[in-house]
Amino acid sequence: MLWYKAWLETRWRFCFVAGSILFAWAAPLWAPLFHLRPPAGIPASRLWLAVHMASVLLYIFAAIFLAGSGINSQTTYAATSGFHPSMLFTLSLPVSRRRLLLVRAGLGALQTGVLVAIMAAYTLFARPEATTAPQFLTYLARAIVCTMAIYALSTLLACVFDEMWQFYGAFLSCIAAFLLQYRISVLSWLSPFRGMSLISYPITGPMPWASVIFSLVLTAVLLYASMLIVQRKEY
Amino acid sequence: MSEAVVETHGLSKSYDNKPALRSLELNVPRGSIYGFLGRNGAGKTTTMKLLLGMLRPDAGEFSLFGETVRSEASSVAARRRIGFVSEGKDLYSFMTVGQMIRFTRPFFPGWRRELEEKYLKLFRLPLNRSITKLSKGMRTQLMLLLAMARGAELLVMDEPTSGLDPIMTEEVLQALADLAAGEGMTIFFSSHQLAEVEQICDHVCLIDEGQKVLDGVLDDLKSQYRRIVLVFDSAAPAALAGLKGIDHLRRAGRTASMLAHVDVEGVVARTQEFAPLSVEVHPVTLKELFLDHVRGE
Repeated sequence: MLWYKAWLETRWRFCFVAGSILFAWAAPLWAPLFHLRPPAGIPASRLWLAVHMASVLLYIFAAIFLAGSGINSQTTYAATSGFHPSMLFTLSLPVSRRRLLLVRAGLGALQTGVLVAIMAAYTLFARPEATTAPQFLTYLARAIVCTMAIYALSTLLACVFDEMWQFYGAFLSCIAAFLLQYRISVLSWLSPFRGMSLISYPITGPMPWASVIFSLVLTAVLLYASMLIVQRKEY
Repeated sequence: MSEAVVETHGLSKSYDNKPALRSLELNVPRGSIYGFLGRNGAGKTTTMKLLLGMLRPDAGEFSLFGETVRSEASSVAARRRIGFVSEGKDLYSFMTVGQMIRFTRPFFPGWRRELEEKYLKLFRLPLNRSITKLSKGMRTQLMLLLAMARGAELLVMDEPTSGLDPIMTEEVLQALADLAAGEGMTIFFSSHQLAEVEQICDHVCLIDEGQKVLDGVLDDLKSQYRRIVLVFDSAAPAALAGLKGIDHLRRAGRTASMLAHVDVEGVVARTQEFAPLSVEVHPVTLKELFLDHVRGE
């Protein structure tokens, strides 16, 4: 039943992100109605790259928005300060905090994974060049693994701060990490953003193993830290 | 004394170095309706949160159903036998009444369908209504239903009747009394409504600034304690404070009012040395006991 609660709690957030993606991807249908067209002469490959970059930003947005608030109750859309008092009801149930977090984080991760898969499928199959199924699956795997690092960071922040600060904190951390990768060479090699991107590692290129493995380790460490925090936290 | 469902020993808790509970000793007997009283901030909610594993004690320990709760696993096991009604009566805003019941039911193998149906009918709760559209009174009713139908052996309730109208308060109190009498359920609840505590509780515990100041069987306390009212021809003497055997003293002009529970006749005899104009001895109400113990002089 915790899955049921987690779904009821997050379904509108999930639909909101999915709707935002559909709206963005439907731009070729609605943009001409507002006389919005790309400037003439831009090659299709450049346009596709812009779409892909927007996808990566949406992966990050989905990971942060759907990461939830640790084991705290959430409102339907908005990030709120403080914890919702219905938490006391949750904590009075005969369920360990570890299980509460696993279910909540598990569902959010699943939702994020589904959205990343949809976005990856759209961008890859909209590519001017043909994409094979193995290429798509390889990219999808690394995009999901690397996005999960952002998701785990957001989950950790949610276990420490209230939802409002989790939201800001996760975005600011992502911006800082993104900028730092250009200053510190080892970070650029390990960065989850690189694993998500088809610019750093084109679909025909080698698998960015360093980035993927680092993302996996980082996700595990951050989720484990979240677990420890939730188990020690007082409400 | 009968078996204790809740027992605490030296239970202490501080927030930012400010003590909220100080060496609390509690003993809640099985099958009792135990009123847990105190002013706002006295430590009632903190005690309940400690018992439910939401907080960890700084010192001391407690046991539930005879088992000392030291780990999360033992707390989870104990919570299978506990129903809880929080002070705010907050439930999930994204659920309806029916969803809330369907969500809660599977956590409790001893869920009582007949009680669920009985209280749904009694409280007239619409299954399809969203939690956000329920009044505070209806949320309280739903929380009570969720707590009572889970087949719990212990109900922990923080201000269970707040937000209810007098008729519904009466129905809830009756339901609690029935659960204690008919099902042998233990009810541990805090309230500011002393009249309702007096109406249904058989035991009371009064805490002030995190410390227990009074506890016992309510009828025993009421029969032991007496209020002695003295009237003087001038201001009531301050030296009355030193009178042996009195618990609390209040002076107002020519009148002094004191509470005594040991050797009341001896206390009355000793007041004669202050030459009062009149001496009256009255039985006390719970409200008087409460006010004297938390206000004192």
